[in-house]
Amino acid sequence: MSKFKKEDKKGAPGVNTSSLPDIVFMLLFFFMVATTSKESDPTVSVKQPEGIRTTDMTPYKQRSEIDFLYLGKPINPARAEKYAAQGMEYLLFMDNVAQPNPDDLYNTNAIRRWKLDKFESKPARMSEPIESVITCIKADKGAPSGMIFDIRKELQEIEALTVAYAVRDNGNI
Amino acid sequence: MAKREIPEINAGSMADIAFLLLIFFLVTTTMDKDQAYVRNIPKRVEVPPENLPEVEQRNIFAIRANSKNQLMVRTELMQDPDDISERVIEFYTTNENKNILTNNFPMYSRISMTEIESALTAAIQDAEEVENTPNAMSEIIEFKWRIVDEWNKKKRSLQLYGKKELPEIHAQAHIRIEVQIATEYELFAKIQSELEEAIFELRDKAAKDAFNEAYSTITRRYSMDKDKLDKEKIDLMKILYPDRFIEVTPKK
Repeated sequence: MSKFKKEDKKGAPGVNTSSLPDIVFMLLFFFMVATTSKESDPTVSVKQPEGIRTTDMTPYKQRSEIDFLYLGKPINPARAEKYAAQGMEYLLFMDNVAQPNPDDLYNTNAIRRWKLDKFESKPARMSEPIESVITCIKADKGAPSGMIFDIRKELQEIEALTVAYAVRDNGNI
Repeated sequence: MAKREIPEINAGSMADIAFLLLIFFLVTTTMDKDQAYVRNIPKRVEVPPENLPEVEQRNIFAIRANSKNQLMVRTELMQDPDDISERVIEFYTTNENKNILTNNFPMYSRISMTEIESALTAAIQDAEEVENTPNAMSEIIEFKWRIVDEWNKKKRSLQLYGKKELPEIHAQAHIRIEVQIATEYELFAKIQSELEEAIFELRDKAAKDAFNEAYSTITRRYSMDKDKLDKEKIDLMKILYPDRFIEVTPKK
């Protein structure tokens, strides 16, 4: 008589998966919280140049002390053609603004109104003066620098005196 | 009627639903941060001031880029924009320890504690005098007190620096970026990047010498807990290596 019972043939017991939804939900909530949605999708394509030793704009973004301005070629080919005929290859796109006329927003003339509108629509507790509200220019690699200075000039007129030139930080040095 | 048991809801597909949502958020999340170089635009002046003192050539570090994206740094044509930062460091450090009149780099002044203190008392006196004058313009009073603040800052900086003298580059020394309308933004950004790199390298070295700490460590810590000592350390680095950049508007 053997002392040991012969094991009967048994399949591997099923893994209890009842807590799987919990784990997945946890991950889900993490991503939901971590996601920041863009204020608006620019209608111009921007391929940023690279640079090092940049400043991170996230804290300004969290305090809404920053406005984004895009400078690139329009994505819509029909629009690109239309403006290229007028000699405007690179166009502007301004973030988040009520736009009575979409074409209006591609001009440097509209910057002042856009910036002032945004500044006035900020809640009163954000007491940052307009000089220090950053205007972040996200320009395409090939954009002409002259346009950057056109933008600067417009900002100077309304005393919005802080700009930021956006680049992609390759930070490997 | 017999009591019917309520059937349990099958929660087996709950995980699938959650996964679906999870994957949606995974795909749409962008983790890229917005990185940029922050610059100030000078205030607009109604009437350009006259009789401005001439700026000596040695105090100007001009970086020019033309519409064909060719670079000229001071008097030298440059093929590779990566070399700009070395030249900037040269510009700042050549006369740092000893002024040599014959070279083409900005002069340094070295001020001792006694000089700072006498300047500080003079500045305070001056400010008080202006304040006590009847109908003095508030801007002038403000301006005078700002000078006092600056001397205070220098005094504190020299204390922190722990040396006999505070080296200070000539007040006119500056870096100017002159681009043309058609210069590509990529090159413009590259110039900014190189300047930032040079200034960072200089300050980093000074910070390591004086406090045995990297400049980036100090600035990062300051951005988090706004420590007063860190602020003073950063001020010292800014006095040693000021970032005076001028971006010249291209002519039409």
